[in-house]
Amino acid sequence: MNDFWLALLGMTCITFSCRYFFFSTTVPFKLGPKVSRLLSYTAPSVMTAMWVPIVFLGHQESGSDFITSPFLIAGIATVIFSLLIKNTLAVVIFGMSVFALLKVFF
Amino acid sequence: MPSKTAIAGESVSSDFQTMKQAIVAIFPLSLAVVPWGVLCGSLAINVGLTPLQAQLMSLLIFAGAAQLAALTIMGAVGSLSSMFSSTFVISSRHLLYSAVFRDHVRKSSFGLRCSIAFFLTDEMFAVTCAYIVKNKRFSPVYALSSGITFYVIWNISTFAGIVAGQHIPNLEHLGLEFAIAATFIAIVIPLIKNKSTMVSVVTSGLSAIILSVFMKEYALIAATFIGMICGYLTKDKESINE
Repeated sequence: MNDFWLALLGMTCITFSCRYFFFSTTVPFKLGPKVSRLLSYTAPSVMTAMWVPIVFLGHQESGSDFITSPFLIAGIATVIFSLLIKNTLAVVIFGMSVFALLKVFF
Repeated sequence: MPSKTAIAGESVSSDFQTMKQAIVAIFPLSLAVVPWGVLCGSLAINVGLTPLQAQLMSLLIFAGAAQLAALTIMGAVGSLSSMFSSTFVISSRHLLYSAVFRDHVRKSSFGLRCSIAFFLTDEMFAVTCAYIVKNKRFSPVYALSSGITFYVIWNISTFAGIVAGQHIPNLEHLGLEFAIAATFIAIVIPLIKNKSTMVSVVTSGLSAIILSVFMKEYALIAATFIGMICGYLTKDKESINE
């Protein structure tokens, strides 16, 4: 694995550059009110684009049916619970417990 | 209550308070990432990396999804270029995060900007955004404290995975993805406070499902943009009254 060090260096540079890019003072980019408003939807959009496929398509990888998929059932349960309880830790623990229980019993 | 005469002491103690808030906020999100760190560590050993190499990936790259993708490619003896392009595609969402924080850090020193960038993850971004909304200001202390907490937990769990190594059977099939889903649900649902955010969540979720059928790699970033644009185009009642 001689390439490993090259891979490590390259990946370190790529991830850091993506995180640093707009922090750079030399990048000519002005945040107007329109861009700011567009960017204010970043967090909900990115995170949703990550969790929705896990919940609704998770059954494909585990080979279970859509309706009885632990991903779907526990996902919907977590959404409902997060509407009722505002504590993030409680929601995460609740979601993971429901999923684990479904995994054990199905 | 700190006395008004001890101004220096007051700011130190308020920094300490901010730090404590940050650690409390990021803790549940760090919890969900522990199985992923363990998976990254054990997979690295299984792919044939030395323990030092495995730990260095988490210490330097510090990006779970990109690390897992790279390890899978290494295991399949894929090319360096495929590793780099998948890293870029997976990490491209961080470009958006850095744009969001741009105005807040622009006047900070080079060193501080580099440190905040290095610790900028999904989870740190989420809690720091929540802090900004609540306090109407950005706090480098908050950003760094939450980022470093997350970094430490990520690396400890990688280390645990390295130690466990090949003794963890079928960790990939346990459905670890769900831990991430639960965390992000817990972050996103409370963010939905108006119609436009609701629209951005629904459209990005729907397009993520549809797009991942056609183009798995780019679905995330494409769905993100669709969600952001639809949210932007939706008029909220509050903004009409303004």
